[in-house]
Amino acid sequence: MTDTTTSTPTVNTVLGPVPADELGVVAVHEALLSVVPGAEHAYDISMDRAEIFEVLAGKLRDFRAHGGGTIVDSTGMFHGRDVNLYEALSRSTGVHIVASTGMGPEEMLGGYFLTPQTNPPTPWPAEKFADLFTKEVTEGMVVPRVERRGAAGLVASTATSEGMTATDESLFRGAARTALNTGVPVSIRYGKDALGDLGVVLDEQLPAHRIVVGGLDRRDAAAAGAPLEVAQRGAFVALDHVGLDDDDAYLTDRERAALVLDLVKAGHGSRILLSSNAIGVAKGQPDYDLPFSYVVSKFVPFAKLQGLSDEDARRILVDNPRDLLTLR
Amino acid sequence: MLGPISAEELGLVAIHEHIGYGMPGSELDTKWWKTPEERYEETVPKLRKFHENGGGTFVDATGICNGRDIDYYKSLSRKTGVHIVACTGFVGGDTALPHFARASVDYLARHFIHEITVGIGDTGSKAGVIKVGVSRGGRMTELDKRIYRAAARAAVATGVPILTHLAIDARPAIDIFNEEGLPLDRVLFGHVDDGVNAESTPDTWIIEQGGRLGFDTFGYETELPDPPFWARPRKDRMEHFLRFVQGGHADKVLASADANCSPLGWPGVKGHTVNYIFEVLIPDLRANGVDEATINKIFVENAADFLSIRN
Ligand SMILES: [Zn+2]
Repeated sequence: MTDTTTSTPTVNTVLGPVPADELGVVAVHEALLSVVPGAEHAYDISMDRAEIFEVLAGKLRDFRAHGGGTIVDSTGMFHGRDVNLYEALSRSTGVHIVASTGMGPEEMLGGYFLTPQTNPPTPWPAEKFADLFTKEVTEGMVVPRVERRGAAGLVASTATSEGMTATDESLFRGAARTALNTGVPVSIRYGKDALGDLGVVLDEQLPAHRIVVGGLDRRDAAAAGAPLEVAQRGAFVALDHVGLDDDDAYLTDRERAALVLDLVKAGHGSRILLSSNAIGVAKGQPDYDLPFSYVVSKFVPFAKLQGLSDEDARRILVDNPRDLLTLR
Repeated sequence: MLGPISAEELGLVAIHEHIGYGMPGSELDTKWWKTPEERYEETVPKLRKFHENGGGTFVDATGICNGRDIDYYKSLSRKTGVHIVACTGFVGGDTALPHFARASVDYLARHFIHEITVGIGDTGSKAGVIKVGVSRGGRMTELDKRIYRAAARAAVATGVPILTHLAIDARPAIDIFNEEGLPLDRVLFGHVDDGVNAESTPDTWIIEQGGRLGFDTFGYETELPDPPFWARPRKDRMEHFLRFVQGGHADKVLASADANCSPLGWPGVKGHTVNYIFEVLIPDLRANGVDEATINKIFVENAADFLSIRN
């Protein structure tokens, strides 16, 4: 899907490749329509497309009104992703939407990948996941059993919170190979061990600067010094629960701002990404109704009061995500 | 699919079949995709032939997350004249997606009851049977048991019967049905004839407890050019079936072919269709001395008795 006639660096959005310089302020780890697999069949859950569209369009307009340019739906290919809906939303609101391929953790997969109709029912290996995800970039994202549409701009996976399972590892390796095959970046949400899980992706020889590690504002990871170590390895550090201020498992926004400043001071300003993991419309799970604009309208002004320079703020909101998302 | 009908209208019933089955997630793999034109082209002639052969009712045993597609079934039913009964429930715990895999017995039961009494999604069509099953590995998992218990409650509440995928590890299943007060003649313990599990399935014991047996993988034979791993020699399956049909249990058995009209997430087994019932199975039964009354009992009377909603 990349334009090979010029050397302009581009990013895959749902409406096609966009010059990387046009992304503006980017939220890298968000969810537009997020559906727990199976919830679409539930008797007590409605899937009113018009209503879903209105809610998402309202949130995207708010994001844009606060200076937002690009939303990355980082939920992968099997958690409610709706490419047609995202195209219409992007056209209607003017916000660039980058959709993702990938899956995980293991618990979120369909039986097709875990207990296939073979004897024995061996779970899918990395190579098959790599092939499935790669085609979502090179041939287009699937609308199940109907068609392929635009190219995925990111490959995302998540490890099981109790620790990476064998299938999680296949997913991570498959994601890394997809990035190597196609030039899209990899997003990982680690399970128990941020550096160990990052190590799996690095083991596939994917350069660290093509990887973003999410959830590094988790209290356990921060206490263990993982954000600094991830930055030192050269991967992007996503502090991506901005606005989550009342959960013991995560830093508060005040602590998050301090961590941003520490990383900048340590010379890692070019590795930091901020996002909220907000959910535009949630189905089969609790709403998480934080505005997509929260980082840019609330948190960054607060971090500036704590001493973040305008230049670093811009780097974090615009330059770093652009560098991550640009196809290599 | 097109509304409740009287049991007398069911006619000859194929008790365990699939319009199209795929493991959840297979819809993401374009390898299996077919156009709607291809789907209808593969499916309609099989159903029409089923109807011409004297088939009345096709019970689709495809679970909630396996590609069950009610609007499609309705169009097929209306155009071919075959009654199609759809199920609620799951083929096994390993085919229930996370929303259901995490759910309580109570939630699952409410979901099943809703699909039986109110309708499936926004289709207005009601499920006529509840599917449950044993996950790969042949031991009931905790989730399998939760689904069985929810199904039992839904069956007691609605009078709709239960159809199982596999009958191995039958003890915990029967314990659950007994605990929930479900008479065992409301349960068809399916795939007792399957090539992998038949040896270890306590078929006689299930009948003694009051359950029904489903010899419902007829046609998956080792004689096929490319048999699936659950295939079995034709003769072995027939002998197994005849032991029950001619051994005084003809009123406790049902038979079917478990064929896919157009498989969704696997290659399927070429040449194997629901019409195996007419083309091979019934002639084989006759050749083995089974009389017409017994054949009628198996495919018509037993099926009607089983499928009739019992309040
Ligand atoms: Zn079946």
